[in-house]
Amino acid sequence: MSSMTGIAARWMAGYRGTPVSRAFGSWLGKIAGGFLVLLVLTAIFAPWITPFDYAAQDLTNGNAPPGWPHLLGTDQFGRDVLSRVIYGARTSLSVSATAIAISITAGMTLGAAAGYFGGFFERAVMTVVDLTWSFPDILIALIFVAIIGPGLTSTTFAIAIAYLAQFTRLTRAQIVRLKRETFIEATINLGAKPHHILLKHLLPNAIAPVIVVGMLAIGDGIVLEATLGFFGLGAQPPTPSWGAMMSSGTAQLFLSPWVIIFPGVVVAVTVIAVNLFGDELIRALDIRDRIRGS
Amino acid sequence: MTNLLEVRNLSKQFKSPGGPFRKARAMHAVNDVSFDLPKGRVVGVVGESGCGKSTLARLILRLIEPTDGTLRFDGEDLRAKSPAQMRKLRANMQMVFQDPYSAIDPRYTISRAVMEPFVVQDRKPASKPEEEVAALLRMVGLDPGLASSFPHQISGGQKQRVGIARALALRPQLLVLDEPTASLDVSVQAQIISLLEQLRDDLGLTYLFISHDLSLVRYFCDEILVMYLGRVVEALPDTDLPARHPYTATLMDSTFAPDPKLRRIITPLEGEVPSPFDLPPGCAFADRCPRAAAICRTETPVLSSDGGHAVACHNPI
Repeated sequence: MSSMTGIAARWMAGYRGTPVSRAFGSWLGKIAGGFLVLLVLTAIFAPWITPFDYAAQDLTNGNAPPGWPHLLGTDQFGRDVLSRVIYGARTSLSVSATAIAISITAGMTLGAAAGYFGGFFERAVMTVVDLTWSFPDILIALIFVAIIGPGLTSTTFAIAIAYLAQFTRLTRAQIVRLKRETFIEATINLGAKPHHILLKHLLPNAIAPVIVVGMLAIGDGIVLEATLGFFGLGAQPPTPSWGAMMSSGTAQLFLSPWVIIFPGVVVAVTVIAVNLFGDELIRALDIRDRIRGS
Repeated sequence: MTNLLEVRNLSKQFKSPGGPFRKARAMHAVNDVSFDLPKGRVVGVVGESGCGKSTLARLILRLIEPTDGTLRFDGEDLRAKSPAQMRKLRANMQMVFQDPYSAIDPRYTISRAVMEPFVVQDRKPASKPEEEVAALLRMVGLDPGLASSFPHQISGGQKQRVGIARALALRPQLLVLDEPTASLDVSVQAQIISLLEQLRDDLGLTYLFISHDLSLVRYFCDEILVMYLGRVVEALPDTDLPARHPYTATLMDSTFAPDPKLRRIITPLEGEVPSPFDLPPGCAFADRCPRAAAICRTETPVLSSDGGHAVACHNPI
């Protein structure tokens, strides 16, 4: 009886299914989420769906306009733009997702430790983390390029460091808020060790906003990866990257605009889709105030 | 009768560190509190908000480290225990919290919350986990079918029952009840109180009952401690005894009698509670006391006993 009322209340509030399925509930969520699923599948199955080898040059057929057999045309070396855009999705998504995964792991560890232990340790960690926030992303990337040379590793670490502060601050804020809850005191009073409190109560309750901000950060990471690629600091030829493709397209902007337009459009659409779907997730999880609070 | 808990000269000061622009201050939350809690008895602690009742509860369970004083639980010196020993001992001394709404992790099902004490203490329940959960829920008067619900799906009174089941899972000897009914409806309050009475009889529990509701404490408890600004001002060994401290007398005067024929005019207390950061010399109640004399403003009265009924007043009734 009483569990019925609980379920009814959740149903009335539109809380049916998992947060992800609720995010897919609206038409915006369906379009944005659908696009992202398609993009990820495209990246995964790239070798089977690309019509041409992304690195195969055909110098006699350079700067060919969109048509058959090159649906999106070719670049100055006669490489198929469609194949390169599809493989570029692999680079963009994997670099951005890896970087954000590193960033979330490090940021949650630092933020949780700072929020849980407090005191001098907290101030030391937060000062260092805030310092990384004061450097522009590009500058951090340049530091890595100077140390380990241009390439995807530098790009990955640069993106990871650029977003570290955000995850650390967000996690710390959640932990500090949760630490004051009665259920933490009650669990301590049961005789729980610190790691039980942290791993079984604090972190599971802190993770939802971090995941959503991480999702939004993947969108930003794609832009940053494209930016670094554009400047020649990211993926090195012949690895296809949306940023690097746009960079090489600038030389033939008026001769063959399709070389720069298609990767540009894909970057824009992907980032918009990530942000729209992230917003839907925030709404589905009902955590808007917790994200703004950090 | 042996004492389950002996508290001697327990004090807690919260210090706020000074800086370039402010003075270091110390707040005397609990001041020189001593009392005994005999096995199987229910001792009530009453006082208005901010008098240090909840701090006292947390000091006794060492959820907050005392500044001074000794705590003996079942003959053992609690303050000498290492953190690891203390964690083991906690199984014997549990607490029910004031706010049932945040006392259960929102991501835990009721059954996981009720089983957590066993996980934390690395103990195996006597029976199979599902049976243990059902038995504990039945013990606190809940339908075992609620085991798979989440806290937001059940009512405040049900949550408080889950809190009690969690506290009793490891069969503790002492249960500290920190205003267990303060955030519940009156009808639900009565249910929780009768549940607590029944559990005490069934399990032979000892209660320390903290409340601001004197009529509830007089009904529920065997002995009463009255606190004012961190100090025990009166210890009544029997709830029927007349108040001797003017503050207790005022508290008792301000409770309502259900019989309309007993209506009377309540004289409210003058003045305000002094700041615990800046305690006046002498008796903290002197400024509001109708019986205050010159000595009350210079000398702090000591709790002195007269056949078990102790009172800290220069001029008791």
